[in-house]
Amino acid sequence: MKLTYILIFILLGWQSDAYREQRKSMVTSQLEKRGISDNSTLQAMGTVPRHRFVPKEQRGYAYQDRPLPIGYGQTISQPYMVAYMTEVIKPQKDFKVLEIGTGSGYQAAVLAEIVGEVYTVEIIPELADQAKKKFTELDYVNIKTNNADGYFGWEEFAPFDAIIVTAAAEFIPPPLIKQLKEGGKMVIPVGSPFLVQTLMLVEKKKGKTTTKSLFPVRFVPFTRGN
Amino acid sequence: MRLLPALAILSIAVISYQLILMHILSIVQWYHFAYMVISIALLGFGVAGTIISLFRKQLLKNLDFLLPASMMATGLLMATVIGISQSSSVRFDSYLLFVDHSQAGKLVLTYLLLLLPFLTAALAIGIVFVKYAEQIGKMYFANLLGSGLGGLLAVGLSWIFIPQRLPAVIALLPLIAALWVLGSPVKTKWLIAFVLNLAIIVTIIFRPFPFNLSQFKDLSKTLNLPDAEIIYEESSPHGFMQVVSSSVLRHAPGLSLVYPETVPVQKAIFKNGDWYGTAATAHPSEDTIVYDYTTRVLPYIVRTRKKALILNSGSGEDIALAKSKSTASIIAVEPNSAVISLLDNELSAETGRLLQGPDLTVYQEEPRTFLLKDTSKYDLITIPTIGAFGGSAGLNALGEQYLLTKDAFHEMWKKLLPEGVISINCWMDYPVRNSLKILATMVEVLLESGVDYPEQYIAAIRSWGTITVIVKKTPISSQDASLVRDFCHEMLFDPVLLPDLETNERTQYNMLQDNDFFHYVDTLFTLQRPALYENYDFNIKPATDDQPYFSQFIRGKSLSHLAQLFGTNAIAFFEVGYLIVVVTLIQVTLISLLLIITPLFRLGWHGGWGVLLYFGGIGMGYMFVEIVFIQRFILYLGNPIYATAAMICALLIFSGLGSYITSRIEIGQARLFTVFLGIIGLLFVYSFSLTSVLQQTIGLPDFFKVMIMIFVIAPLAFLMGLPFPSELKRLNRKSPQLVPWSWAINGCASVISTALATVIAAELGFKWVTILAAAAYGLPLISTITSKK
Repeated sequence: MKLTYILIFILLGWQSDAYREQRKSMVTSQLEKRGISDNSTLQAMGTVPRHRFVPKEQRGYAYQDRPLPIGYGQTISQPYMVAYMTEVIKPQKDFKVLEIGTGSGYQAAVLAEIVGEVYTVEIIPELADQAKKKFTELDYVNIKTNNADGYFGWEEFAPFDAIIVTAAAEFIPPPLIKQLKEGGKMVIPVGSPFLVQTLMLVEKKKGKTTTKSLFPVRFVPFTRGN
Repeated sequence: MRLLPALAILSIAVISYQLILMHILSIVQWYHFAYMVISIALLGFGVAGTIISLFRKQLLKNLDFLLPASMMATGLLMATVIGISQSSSVRFDSYLLFVDHSQAGKLVLTYLLLLLPFLTAALAIGIVFVKYAEQIGKMYFANLLGSGLGGLLAVGLSWIFIPQRLPAVIALLPLIAALWVLGSPVKTKWLIAFVLNLAIIVTIIFRPFPFNLSQFKDLSKTLNLPDAEIIYEESSPHGFMQVVSSSVLRHAPGLSLVYPETVPVQKAIFKNGDWYGTAATAHPSEDTIVYDYTTRVLPYIVRTRKKALILNSGSGEDIALAKSKSTASIIAVEPNSAVISLLDNELSAETGRLLQGPDLTVYQEEPRTFLLKDTSKYDLITIPTIGAFGGSAGLNALGEQYLLTKDAFHEMWKKLLPEGVISINCWMDYPVRNSLKILATMVEVLLESGVDYPEQYIAAIRSWGTITVIVKKTPISSQDASLVRDFCHEMLFDPVLLPDLETNERTQYNMLQDNDFFHYVDTLFTLQRPALYENYDFNIKPATDDQPYFSQFIRGKSLSHLAQLFGTNAIAFFEVGYLIVVVTLIQVTLISLLLIITPLFRLGWHGGWGVLLYFGGIGMGYMFVEIVFIQRFILYLGNPIYATAAMICALLIFSGLGSYITSRIEIGQARLFTVFLGIIGLLFVYSFSLTSVLQQTIGLPDFFKVMIMIFVIAPLAFLMGLPFPSELKRLNRKSPQLVPWSWAINGCASVISTALATVIAAELGFKWVTILAAAAYGLPLISTITSKK
């Protein structure tokens, strides 16, 4: 019996090392190489065990440069997209961040490594439950989860320094704009889950709300003859 | 002879089943994957030909058993394979194909499963053709007649049964065919087999296999929302319409950031599991106020509209907007009778009787046909929003979009009153494609209409997600421009095109990563426009009726550059539709080559080239002609589903008559030579004169238009029905072992040409499909001349 435990322990340790290596490689080859430079973001991405947030059958692909299906027609975003969305809100230790669309919980976990408080809202009850359990398992005490309609944000804890909407929406819910602090940033992806996504940055400055399209990949049309 | 009705019934079943399978796969997956799977499944005919080629003698020896057995097997397989393909161990998800390689194995399994009923049916038909090759004229007539009626039956049944029940309903037909072949008295073993089959099929009719939609379909995702439930569903040939309610379903595309209210909850309508729209409402409530905070209200900002034409009115959003703006007369045109009925009946109270009232007239018609017939003038013409939120993943790439061609906008332009506008709403995509193509289209339409400075006639505004373009019959005045500017300022929108626009005005509220977009927009108004078409990575050259593929953006020469920028996987999602057709073409060509070459190891190559050219040529030519006719008559008859069904029915029945004649009159090689010249000649005559004949008669009542269609189709179809049975009979006398092989070639060529015609139409236009049809009929002509010598 003892031998079995020892073997399991060795195997788990070996697997954990393997994931650590993959994570390290992900940070270097997928994030730093593409221009993610915020230290806290890189550190968080290098710490959070992404493989724990994907379905078991997908664990082998967890650190690959692509989104993965997590059920209910939802996906866990490509690592680069998560890093980009995190970096773009310029996260600080004292930030209170609202996430709309918990999904796998990975984005919330990355944020929780950097900021003080993370509030995350998920509309699909099963996904909200799974994420909540995952946060407890991984000891993320600074994440609060709510199974509710993300349209209304989370007024009880508003205003927020930043809002990350991970589930693309065809309109920006007015309550979210209201719950954004003056000077705050909101980021929303636009695009189908498996395609390169456009990010929309909404900023509230001096009472004026503006948007900016951010493209993680810059499209430079190829001019023939050049 | 009992065989003829049995053959016709089996043929009815095969074509009906093919159409219904396509419908079902479009519901559980996507249309283009349905297309790919069906193309492979139809190779069941090629496989059957190859099997008969290899085991001809053994099969013929056991004909009495094989014929009813394969018919009964067809019935059983038709009723069951779709259910099996939906089981968790087999079911593949087309959305995951490009990201999860394990899906490929499931896809192959699905191919094989769905090929089975076509294979068994084709075995039955093929054995009959081989055995009774001397009477092939009659046999082929029964086959074509049945196929023609099969299309009509599928359309009819779609009104009566929900899609889940349809395969089993169709499966009864092969059973009837088997019973017919067996005659009376039926032996006990056959009776038992029949009763068992019947019991299984009837059980499935009453307890059909459930559909498992892809988890990525819009409907699946919506049903995951709290309290989401399907409150109404209706089957029709237009598609499977479903209405979903949920306490959190809100729809406000591209809403302004200053919208002060709560976005109202609405009911969503889905067609074949895809988002169709929300049930718009005429209530003067916040539902319609939402529109005031979107860019699509632009035409009403400039002035009140008295007479509006809403093309493809769909779920009624543009009707609701027009009503909320007190438009005196609204004409809505929508080809989908199911959605009109839904809004007018089941959702009538919900929508505040949107489709009723003295201010509105609804026409159930194809918008292009309406435009060609209608003589009124309007001060507003709208079309549905172009593109989809987040991009449509290129799903529309190879769907003909006749409302977005230059020819369509020319028709709209002619119908504008002096102050009238065409209004086009479009989602902003990245990389920018849709908005550039629509602007390019409008610039060319204006230039071709004699407008020297198109920039004076076009205004466009942009929110964070949408762009709305209006094209005015007369130049946009400074007063109009001032109203648009004020509106933009109030809503936090930015003008993109307006007379006297300053560069910095374009990005006051909604910035882009760079200003390339504006550079391209401005270039469209200059002589550099052709260079931009040539150099841009996506195809933004305007679509025409000859190449009606507005959403086909991908260009072969840009693929490597796009892969370099976005990654190889992403390419698939730019233009899934086009990619699927190309992949289908490659797959069916490779499998066909295998099916055609395999029997040669046993039969030898002697005389093979002639047979290959002859039967390959007529197989390809026939399908090319069919596809060109569908394209021509959809616009003419004004209803894509009925036009296609009626056209195919007429084509096959007249070809059947041609085939029947060959059982009465011997068509020798000299006559065949004339037949081919006749087909090629008629194709050339049609390519030059058909358009004008159809345009001049489009205003006639439907009965006369159907008569004209039959008059046009009949002579060509009749001639096209002659070559197959004539040559098959001759081949049977000379080299009977090549008869099943020739049938396999013909079957494979038909499948290849369907995919090939789509690619050619997209790349070069339908006129080239017509030319290639003539060229394909030139192949058997060469074969006939060569064999004469």
